[in-house]
Amino acid sequence: MIYKIIQKRKIFLTLSSLAAAASIFALFFWGLNFGIDFTGGSLMEVEFSNYKPSVTEVQDSLKNVDLHGLVIQPTENSVILRFKENTEDVHQLVAKNLQELVKNKQGASFKELQFDSVGASIGQELKSKSFNATVIVFIMIILYISWAFKGVSKPVASWKYGVAAIIALIHDILFILGVFSVLGHFYGIEVNTPFIAAVLTVLGYSVSDTIIVFDRIRENLPKSHEDFENTVNRSVNQTLTRSINTSFSAVLALLAILFFGGSTIKDFALALAIGIAVGTYSSIFIASPVLVVWEKLKQSKKIV
Amino acid sequence: MSFKQKFSKLSERAKAGWILGIIMIFAVMVALTVGGNIYNNFAKNLSKKTNQIVSLPLVTEIPFSLGLDLQGGTHLVYQADVKNIPEADRAGALEAARDVIERRVNAFGVSEPVVQVNQGINGEYRIIAELAGIKDVNEAIKLIGETPILEFKEQGTAVATTGTTSSSTAELTQDWKNTELTGKYLKRASLQFNPNDGSPEVNLEFNAEGSKMFEEITGRNIGKPVAIFLDGYPISVPTVNDKITGGSASISGRFNVEEAKLLVKRLNSGALPVPISLISQKTVEASLGAKSIDNSMKAGLIGLLLVSIFMILYYRLPGVLSVLSLLVYGLTVLAIFKALPVWLALILVVTMIGLIFYTFSELKIFNGTLAVLFSVIGVLLFFYAQQAVTLSLSGVAGFILSIGIAVDANILIFARTREELKLGKSVSQAIDSGFKRAWPSIRDGNVSTIITCLILMFFGTSSVKGFGTTLFIGIAVSLFSAIVITHTLFVLILGDWLEKRTWLLGVKKAKVEENK
Repeated sequence: MIYKIIQKRKIFLTLSSLAAAASIFALFFWGLNFGIDFTGGSLMEVEFSNYKPSVTEVQDSLKNVDLHGLVIQPTENSVILRFKENTEDVHQLVAKNLQELVKNKQGASFKELQFDSVGASIGQELKSKSFNATVIVFIMIILYISWAFKGVSKPVASWKYGVAAIIALIHDILFILGVFSVLGHFYGIEVNTPFIAAVLTVLGYSVSDTIIVFDRIRENLPKSHEDFENTVNRSVNQTLTRSINTSFSAVLALLAILFFGGSTIKDFALALAIGIAVGTYSSIFIASPVLVVWEKLKQSKKIV
Repeated sequence: MSFKQKFSKLSERAKAGWILGIIMIFAVMVALTVGGNIYNNFAKNLSKKTNQIVSLPLVTEIPFSLGLDLQGGTHLVYQADVKNIPEADRAGALEAARDVIERRVNAFGVSEPVVQVNQGINGEYRIIAELAGIKDVNEAIKLIGETPILEFKEQGTAVATTGTTSSSTAELTQDWKNTELTGKYLKRASLQFNPNDGSPEVNLEFNAEGSKMFEEITGRNIGKPVAIFLDGYPISVPTVNDKITGGSASISGRFNVEEAKLLVKRLNSGALPVPISLISQKTVEASLGAKSIDNSMKAGLIGLLLVSIFMILYYRLPGVLSVLSLLVYGLTVLAIFKALPVWLALILVVTMIGLIFYTFSELKIFNGTLAVLFSVIGVLLFFYAQQAVTLSLSGVAGFILSIGIAVDANILIFARTREELKLGKSVSQAIDSGFKRAWPSIRDGNVSTIITCLILMFFGTSSVKGFGTTLFIGIAVSLFSAIVITHTLFVLILGDWLEKRTWLLGVKKAKVEENK
């Protein structure tokens, strides 16, 4: 049974273009909800035992500390505070005030679970570092694919495989950024350093997925009696089960992290899981169809 | 007949038997490395219960190196203010500051503190201190932050020199100019008492370079005051009577014995050559770290279980083989995370790479590029095997993700094998060409991921680095487990019985016949 994936490329390319447009729209209107790693500021997680102060109580206790952009977020067993100030003095003052909350309560205690503070200059640096790393990944990938496919020239030049893979990658990045823009806007999920690692890993994963489909095309081309479109379609079909199974097992591992790995690592696993799913989609439904579209364009030019 | 000749005359299966033997020894070694403590407890209990009749040798227990987010601790980033230091001296001054901070932190009793100098992308100098398992972070920050900055200043040229008496308050508002002499050139400070009135004084002794500078400064300031600043405040402003040679000076006046003692202590543990300010910190309480370890272990085991169930359900017998490889994979990766003794690291890596070479030459797809590729991977693996890979939360996540990706090579091989079976090939032929044909895809796919890992490893931020490193180790080892171990197991179970039961490979027999 052969699925007509390439023949139906218009549907998939349209869908993906819409998704990409929606992502750009989301990024344009809401942007990303950058966390303190990028913006600078502090994050403090504290635990109260045998006494749970309400958000208002916590807020009131910090009235005399001049905090900017204070957000108090209660979790299952702890309270997370975020604010713009990042000095140690402010940190100690906040801790002291929170300590006061349990002072006269019988058996109640207060513990600081974690404290992160990031200077604004470090955040700026992370932004440019992330950007550089992404650009380097892109360049290396084009170079590697052009090299790995150097023997293939007909009917599509080897560098076009590289460009098709990059188009699929841009699709993936846009999609993840779009999803996190929405998640950031509606659910307050932040983008921090691990997110960058997740995006870069997804790039690597997605391109290796694409390469495996391209490999099959390369293998089938010389001995194929069909035209380019059908050869590509057959190759995609042959690698379909593998693509889906590998992502499925990777996503299984990530789901384990998502549900059992604890709250700190949840967003990271989520970004990876979404990225791997969309990376698999793009290697099947974007990268290969783009190759065929390119080849068709070249042909129609020849006829004219 | 040499061993090599003898070996090559053996049947496929007998050869695979030998290889399996090596793999089993390998597996036992990595298992003992990873679970050394579990094994030792077992061995001790056993000898106790059997009254020392059965006494198993104990193994050296090597601990995992846990990141601050898993064991609790603090990561502090200080920015150094180098505007008063000439370009050429900055690196040296930073190194000196690093040493000072390290001494202070050591005095605080932190085990294995990491203090390093790091340069931001715009050239800013930073000092990063990682204090694992520290109880009182606040106290440590105070300790590092309060490090005294000792400066010697002379009067600015614009200011009229009117001061005649030492330490008169009039001069404190004056415009002071830095000299080249700072706390960096201090050899040692000591407490002494003024022979005339018995008041406490702090005696400063300079090193050779400092003595020369002090001589020059006093030489050009005869009759003028020279100020000694501590942490930006003048603590003593004596007037120079004569050029001072010999490299020692004393600060007197403003303190009682206790204060003088403290000052000596602070100066001796090091005066910072550059002012620093805390710009970033990440502190994790130990209990939160312990919880993260529990969660990660749970997630890892469940991930392994889910992937195993999926592989067995979907690929049947080959799935079982791949799960066995996956177990060795997991243990090997965990072993490499530890700081292995050089001999052990060497044995493990050489065994892996050797067996990879052997398997590829058996499959007749061994060539020069492949040899280079695996030699490079081998060198990198050895590098990481003999040193500890610090496991942070994101590193552990990388490891768990790699469990899911490690089966990819097997999935590729099994998919190919099924295709070949459907074409009517015998099981042994199908498996052979399954491995051969899947290889280019496995290679290209993994190389691109390795490229990404290398970029992550050089990305800088420690958590990202850790993630890239663990993912790289995972991929490298998965090439070994998914190809060598799975292939060896396959060769061993091949036989007529399997040819008749192709449903074990997920292909209906009727279909095979049909295609014939």
